[in-house]
Amino acid sequence: MKRILFGLLLAASGAQAAAPVATIQGMLAKPEQLCGRFEQTKQLAGMKKPLASNGRFCVVAGKGVLWRTLKPFPNTLRLSRDEIVHLQGERVAMRLEASQEPTVRMINGVLFSLLGGDLGQLETLFEVDGKATAKSWNVSLKARSPALARAIGAISLDGDAYVRNIHMVEQGGDRTDISFSDIKTGPGAVLPEEAALF
Amino acid sequence: MITHKRPHRHLALLWALVVCLLVGHNAWLWLGKRIVPDTDILALLPADQRDPVLQQSFTHMVDSAQQRVVILVGAAQWNDARRAADAWSAALAPHADLLRLDAAGDEVQAGWLDGLQAHATLLISKEQENQLREQPAGFWLESALGRLYGAFGGPKLGAFRDDPFGLLAGWMQERAGETPVRPRDGRLFVAGQGREYVLLTYTLQQPAFSLAAQRQVVPLLDQAGAAAQRAVPGVEVIKAGVVLHAAAAGRQASSEVETIGLGSLAGIVLLTWLTFRSVKPITLVLLAIGIGFLGALSVCWLLFGRIHLLTLVFGASLIGVAQDYGIYFLCHRLGADPALDSPRLLRRLLPGLGLTLLAAVIGYMGLALTPFPGLRHMAVFSALGLVFAWLTVACWFPALVKARDMRAGWLARRYTGLAARWPRVSASPATLALLALLGAGALLGCMRLTVNDDIRSLQSSPPQLVQDQIKLGKLLDVPSPVQYYLVRGATDQQVLQREEALKRKLDPLIAQGHIAGYQALSNWVPSAQTQRERLALVEGRLLGAEGPLAALAQQVGEDRGWVEATRTHLLSRAAPMSPDAFLRTPASEPWRHLWIGEVGGVRASIVALRGMRYASIPVLERAAEGLEGVQWVDKVGGISAVLGRYRAYMGWVVLGAYALVYLVLFPRYRGRTWRVLAPTAAASVLTLALLGLSGQSLQLFHVLALMLLLGVGVDYGIFMQERHGKDGDAPWLAVGLSAANTLLSFGLLALSGTPALRAFGLTMLAGTALVWLAAPCFILSEEETRAETVYA
Repeated sequence: MKRILFGLLLAASGAQAAAPVATIQGMLAKPEQLCGRFEQTKQLAGMKKPLASNGRFCVVAGKGVLWRTLKPFPNTLRLSRDEIVHLQGERVAMRLEASQEPTVRMINGVLFSLLGGDLGQLETLFEVDGKATAKSWNVSLKARSPALARAIGAISLDGDAYVRNIHMVEQGGDRTDISFSDIKTGPGAVLPEEAALF
Repeated sequence: MITHKRPHRHLALLWALVVCLLVGHNAWLWLGKRIVPDTDILALLPADQRDPVLQQSFTHMVDSAQQRVVILVGAAQWNDARRAADAWSAALAPHADLLRLDAAGDEVQAGWLDGLQAHATLLISKEQENQLREQPAGFWLESALGRLYGAFGGPKLGAFRDDPFGLLAGWMQERAGETPVRPRDGRLFVAGQGREYVLLTYTLQQPAFSLAAQRQVVPLLDQAGAAAQRAVPGVEVIKAGVVLHAAAAGRQASSEVETIGLGSLAGIVLLTWLTFRSVKPITLVLLAIGIGFLGALSVCWLLFGRIHLLTLVFGASLIGVAQDYGIYFLCHRLGADPALDSPRLLRRLLPGLGLTLLAAVIGYMGLALTPFPGLRHMAVFSALGLVFAWLTVACWFPALVKARDMRAGWLARRYTGLAARWPRVSASPATLALLALLGAGALLGCMRLTVNDDIRSLQSSPPQLVQDQIKLGKLLDVPSPVQYYLVRGATDQQVLQREEALKRKLDPLIAQGHIAGYQALSNWVPSAQTQRERLALVEGRLLGAEGPLAALAQQVGEDRGWVEATRTHLLSRAAPMSPDAFLRTPASEPWRHLWIGEVGGVRASIVALRGMRYASIPVLERAAEGLEGVQWVDKVGGISAVLGRYRAYMGWVVLGAYALVYLVLFPRYRGRTWRVLAPTAAASVLTLALLGLSGQSLQLFHVLALMLLLGVGVDYGIFMQERHGKDGDAPWLAVGLSAANTLLSFGLLALSGTPALRAFGLTMLAGTALVWLAAPCFILSEEETRAETVYA
């Protein structure tokens, strides 16, 4: 459960917890609102063909994260302070509430600390390794605990003022690549239908 | 005179031999064999009502908790909680030989699922099992596609092909719901009431009831608490553990021994000195009591092979009665003509002394007629103790006490004259009015008297500990260790099936809010029948030729080969599970106490309840009705019921004892017999009335005290009726001294913080004082005695 979430969090927040941390932090824009497109490719163990999907994502400070897969099948994931909701079309396929599942707030706590630029959280969970040039950076994250490593595998990301690519390799052999484009910030970034979903 | 002395010397020597044997046997029992008294109150139930499987289940539920010390370190911020917890565990780390930190490491967490991989396809949550029966193929296709493409398709474990429909993930979430505790940063984490806590559990390496452990653990925990406070000021530390309650009880007991114990000892010694101008009498009386106690213990052990703590406690109350024989003799010695030697004095006192012993023994033997082993042991113990103490007085006192050993002290001279001026019961209008008034008061008080056998009302742990316990229980959502279901069957499979039948009846109760959930081994290892049903569901509803798996392949462009490979992979992860195999995996560690296994040819397990409401106990009890092999267990209720039944039986025994004692005394006292018993009976009724008026609820320990009161009260009655002109005021002095000692030894227990002792002490305080006051009211003057004897 944590695996994708952390990927998301890192992507959404711009992975401030990279090394050299200070340089990368300086490069990253920290907008109040940020939306864009994503392209995702999964290569699953035992499957010949890669699975491609795409959609839109939004990160709004103080509200949370929206992850909308548009093609080939519409479904939406919404993370807020007290819950994680998964919508399949209109139907709520899954809802995890913080009152029932304490890790929800913990995961979202990591999310909010990331958005706030608090690197302490991430560095307690991962060994952060990477480098930065004048215009871009990349880092790889290695989970400090075996349990976390088992759950989310190895993650690497690269970017400039925003995160551009995320690669995840799980211990089960499934691989996921996500790349971001068309990133917009400011009041107009969130579409009206997305504002309604928050 | 020489002919008189000889046999007495022989007796004294013979008795010395017996006492040597007793001391030797006791030394061997306590020091060699190191016997430990039973403490389980349910062991006092009649043998046929004891159930080995039930006993075993108590052991499982209690022992798993008894050695544990649970700590929650909490702060508003997780990082603060973590720092404080680290400081806490660093402070305790050097003392791992006393308190060992239980492993909560990530490695344990990471590896715990490995043992279940071979059975993963069989692990399906209740909700999804229903969905498999009810939902169409499209539902499962949609769900698999969502997991396939979505960045987050719900919790996921392993690769996609291990769990394409999210069944294992759903089951994991259902299991995770059984506890709010989660691993976090290599620690255990729980949240609640606006705080985040680190959970630390320790296993005590010494028995929780050992005094050494109690003395060491509490200061260590205080030190660790101070370390946590230094690291993060204002941090909250919640502690719980049987050892903490035991230590608190120990502290209370030892401080009471210091105050109440020393106070009563000082009082008794002072009283003796003021009466006899010597402390020798008190050592002699203690000697008689001590021999009585040792003798009773020896013979009881030989008879029963065990001894219960409650027997010892009640047996210790023997002191109240056993002292009377010695005091009676000593007071007469004090008053008697110095020319009369002690053996001859004893011979003159023997009828009265013998009668007091006979009455007490017969009274206690009434207890032996009840079906409860505890009461029978008490009866035998008490009767034996009295006999041994009496024999000590009879065999040794004449040799040990000489006429010149004692002189009447200041108190004896002041007090003895009182009896003559005491008001007497007669038919005068004033007496009748007073009696009517007392009678009305007694009636009113007794009508107000309520009964309460709830064991919880006997609990006396400090409020802070109880609050911590409640808070911790709420945060950790721990199931009740004393209310649960016991499930039995001929085979493991039958037990699992019966658990499943019970769970089907409990599910609606969760929906109705009576309980939050249940813990059972069948949550982890379904019965073979359920395993077969689930596998059939997965094969039929998901893996069929036209089913969701095939449709999924079509959607993502995979061929029949992929469908076949995935199907084979999933079916290869459906190896049958057995409880025995599961119990050997690390995943079973928190649940092992639920599986009792084989006891006397029967297999058994426990279904524990989370978030149980006390008001729901009757509903939960009914849920077990009609289910074969399922029993509702309520240990709190069970102990309360035992206490209640003992109280009721004891009450009848007290009444029966009055009747028996009356019959025993009748041949000697005839028409005066009622005068022997009347002070005690009146005092008992008035004591009950006082308890009622002061709002106390009647419980076993009040009634036990009434039984003891009968023992001492009859002695006083006999002493007063045995009064002869030549004895002077000796009986009255004996009564006063004995009653004062009883008040000092038992009455002072009314100050105890332990509710059971307080109840006992309060009854003895009021009762003994009333008997003492009432005893002289029923004596007859010399002339009246003569007249009545002639008349009889």
